[in-house]
Amino acid sequence: MECYPEQMCALAVDGELPPNEAQRLRDHLATCERCRKLVDALRVENRMLSESLRELSEEAISGLSFAPQHRSWGWSDLAIVAAVLVLGWIVVPWIDGLSIPSALEWLNPYSTDNLTNMVFNVSYYFAHGGIAMLADYATAVGGFFLLLGGALLLGRRWRSHVGLCLLTVLLSLSLPSFALERRHSEFVTVPANETVDDTLLAVGNTVRVEGVVNGDLLAFGRIVEVRGSVKGDLVSFAKRTVVSGTVEGRIYDFSQSLDLDGELGHSLYGWVQSLRVNDRAQVGEGIVAGAGDVSLEGNVKRSATIFAGNTDISGAVGRDLTMTGGSLTLTDTARIGGDLSARVRHLKDVHIADGATVAGKRDIQVRVRKNPFMRPRYYFHQAVWLAGAMLVGWLGLLLFPGFFQATTQLVGSGWRSLGLGLGVLAGVPVAMVVAVITLVGIPVSLMLLVTYLAAIYLAKVWVGAFLGRIILRPTGTTTGDWLLSLLVGLLILTILGFIPYLGGLIRLVVICLGLGAFVWELYRASRPVMTV
Amino acid sequence: MAKGSQPGEAETLRIETPDLESVIERARGHDTEALAEIYRRYVRRVFGLCRCMLDSRESAEDATSEVFLKLQRSIGTYDGSIPFPRWLLRVAGNQCIDVLRRRQRGRKVIVEIEDEAVVIEPASSEPSPVGAVINTEERVKVRDTIARLPENYRVPLVLRYYSELSYDEIAQQLHLHRNYVAALIYRAKQELRRRLAHRSK
Repeated sequence: MECYPEQMCALAVDGELPPNEAQRLRDHLATCERCRKLVDALRVENRMLSESLRELSEEAISGLSFAPQHRSWGWSDLAIVAAVLVLGWIVVPWIDGLSIPSALEWLNPYSTDNLTNMVFNVSYYFAHGGIAMLADYATAVGGFFLLLGGALLLGRRWRSHVGLCLLTVLLSLSLPSFALERRHSEFVTVPANETVDDTLLAVGNTVRVEGVVNGDLLAFGRIVEVRGSVKGDLVSFAKRTVVSGTVEGRIYDFSQSLDLDGELGHSLYGWVQSLRVNDRAQVGEGIVAGAGDVSLEGNVKRSATIFAGNTDISGAVGRDLTMTGGSLTLTDTARIGGDLSARVRHLKDVHIADGATVAGKRDIQVRVRKNPFMRPRYYFHQAVWLAGAMLVGWLGLLLFPGFFQATTQLVGSGWRSLGLGLGVLAGVPVAMVVAVITLVGIPVSLMLLVTYLAAIYLAKVWVGAFLGRIILRPTGTTTGDWLLSLLVGLLILTILGFIPYLGGLIRLVVICLGLGAFVWELYRASRPVMTV
Repeated sequence: MAKGSQPGEAETLRIETPDLESVIERARGHDTEALAEIYRRYVRRVFGLCRCMLDSRESAEDATSEVFLKLQRSIGTYDGSIPFPRWLLRVAGNQCIDVLRRRQRGRKVIVEIEDEAVVIEPASSEPSPVGAVINTEERVKVRDTIARLPENYRVPLVLRYYSELSYDEIAQQLHLHRNYVAALIYRAKQELRRRLAHRSK
């Protein structure tokens, strides 16, 4: 009988020949030594292949300790981090104790004044150079993103993640368009004889309103001036904002300087470098402001809450004045209708002229900034903070178990999470500005903002849980184990947060890690499901 | 069984190696403890498969996590008709093929060339089977060579000799004709022999 070709023999060795064929081959092997040898060789070869491949699974993993919480950070990395922290603990107070020459003060990143200044300058340069260009391209870019988003949503089969579905539903619900008018050019102006009935979104180098805006005014520009009247709220992001007309609603301001000369119906909320409420100005309700310098010469009907480097009051505050910051000056003309409470660093920075009137109590405290550990309230706050984070973690695990566990795991990918997180942390605000400019993007931008803030809060939960898992190395993956890890991790993060200055850096790293893991998991979760 | 064992109880009373069937049964009831047990037992084999199928360690790790993440839901489709490890490796193989396919934007990983479907080449001119290799160095060499084989050779070869799937199962996974799979595996081995012979020179 003729010998079998090698492929037949290979099939036989792989057990893929039909039974009758296999039987015939076996009969042949009994008589033919050449074929028998071939079959034996093939068998040996198969075994060799299996063994060689199998060995990979042993060898490849042993190097990594591929536990459920696989991570690319080893103990050595942790040791280095710990060493750096200890060093920081020793060095930073020493640096803090050194006096910095005032000429170099602007270099000190820890000074709020200069930080604010820097933030404004940077954002101004970005806005000035960027906005004109962005405004031109924004429509195209926004359209592109919308198309892309739509294609992603339709084209891919989303996992049955409740969270993602919920997000999509919310997103689509938030889409009904606003009654909104949008203008952008170098010089956006509403002339004195014009009335805009809708909300006005104005983007330009200079935004000037001399007429009437019946809705809200959202203004982005270098200079925003309201000389006419805005019936709704004014939201302003500018280098300089001047309100000499009337705003009947509220003012939300993020500017380098804000001058209020006219009349404001409700409250003023601001984060500005320099805030001036001039003597002709009227504020219908209160002021809540964080600022470098505050000069209050006008009339505030209700309370003022101010966090500022320097506060000068020569006008009237109808109710309480609460101030935290560097220095406080009340001139002879100042009148406070309620209590005055101030938290300052040195008592000598508070000047209250004899002519100033304070109807209620005067409560001036020197901030004991050095040692918050002495106050029981501090521990209470920490406990509340911890309990809140635990609760959020528990709820998250209950609602989105897979997502939370996976995100916790992904924190372990170390540098990838960190880099991605840093990019997202910096990139999302830019994306939001772009989205806002594209008009249709406003709801998307708001959704993005909510998700962004939520993720920043949750970052410590994921990082905490991950940290706890490294330390406890629980064998199981039950909710209880996860929560226990979370508790331990959060405690550690809290303690690390106490380190002066470095604590802040650690928080930043935690946020980046968590955010990175979140975004990565979001990306992974949105990939199509395979069919089993 | 599924209802009788509470997670806490299972933790304390667990015998050294609970039998696979009960673990699977519990895992089907979404018992995280049981899923973790399955993970512990099979992560190495799944990872090994992914490592052979995919080119980078990172994508292999990703694919491995993906398989176990999806297991919570997909274990419901396991009907016990084939041994569990085999089923799991099949799922993992699918995952890897999915990854490869996604990279090529949805195209088939291996495209069947029609007129080549069944070609039985004469064996005489081909290098003879590779003999047994005992030492680790040589095995590393074999693995390296397999890793460098083109995808259409590597994938069926790994599915056959790592996952130990039958030709029919491989054909089903790759959406190919059975005879074509046989030809691919045969040719993959020929190519492997040729490359190994070349390397050792």
